[in-house]
Amino acid sequence: MGKPLKKIMVYIDGTEQSVTAAQYAICLASFSGAELVAHYVVNTRAVEDLLKARIFLKDERVEYEHDMEANADRYLDYVDGLAQKKGVALVKKRSRGNVHKEILDAVREYDVDLLVIGELSRIRSRRDEFYDEAERAMRTVPCSVLIVKDEDKVWELYESLG
Amino acid sequence: MALIDLIVPEVVKTPLVSKDKPDVLRELVQVLKDAGRIDDFDAVLQAVQQREDLQSTGLEEGIAVPHGKTAAVSRLQIALGIAPQGIDFSSLDGKPTQLFFLLVASPEQSGPHVEALAEVAKLARSKAFCRALIGADNPQEVVELIRGE
Repeated sequence: MGKPLKKIMVYIDGTEQSVTAAQYAICLASFSGAELVAHYVVNTRAVEDLLKARIFLKDERVEYEHDMEANADRYLDYVDGLAQKKGVALVKKRSRGNVHKEILDAVREYDVDLLVIGELSRIRSRRDEFYDEAERAMRTVPCSVLIVKDEDKVWELYESLG
Repeated sequence: MALIDLIVPEVVKTPLVSKDKPDVLRELVQVLKDAGRIDDFDAVLQAVQQREDLQSTGLEEGIAVPHGKTAAVSRLQIALGIAPQGIDFSSLDGKPTQLFFLLVASPEQSGPHVEALAEVAKLARSKAFCRALIGADNPQEVVELIRGE
């Protein structure tokens, strides 16, 4: 029987929850020997929507996209550093576009066995307007999905790794 | 962090007492200050005013989305103000503004900032929902409406 997990992808979005998910994914990769990919999607779809809604000016769009790309690189570097500390190799992937679609494409591209995402919003509205991109990705990807909770416990697990 | 997690009664004010645009901005920033969400009132107000100076964030149908980036906040903060009588906010359609979503974020939190703004933009498309918010009697009712309860 081969390894149950060959490739794990963790979705990073700049939230504390996604960093916790990354710590857990690093632990899983370390325990299982699976390859680890960290994926950050710069949500240019949302920026386009804001331009269409006239909430953003054209110059503002460029500025925010630049900021978002810089943030993506910073978070990916940070997560890479967390992985390196534990001797886990990590592939950094940054893409732009519609978040759930980019995640789906990346899962297929890397032939991911397990997608790891941070805790979803605890209070869920029944209103359709509130749409969580990570939740949408969770529903559409063809692989198993793990939602990471309990920041303190995950931190302890991460710290306990040799 | 979803918009609905950030909007709690402490950051909602209805009705606003302000009568003009500069005062609305000050009143909303004060809401954040009173709720303990920000420390530096002046820095946050300046960030929002600078964006307004480029072009009003008063949209159509009585909604405005004043926003700005400042290192004075470490994470995204939102205040929601409601003025049922309407206030001149130099909106795109020239009509008085009744719903004000003020967002401020750190330059290092542009992703969550953009996603929260996009959520507000989606909300603003529902005229019936906006009417319900404007008709709410108190902050708790506003929060319950937003949570869809």
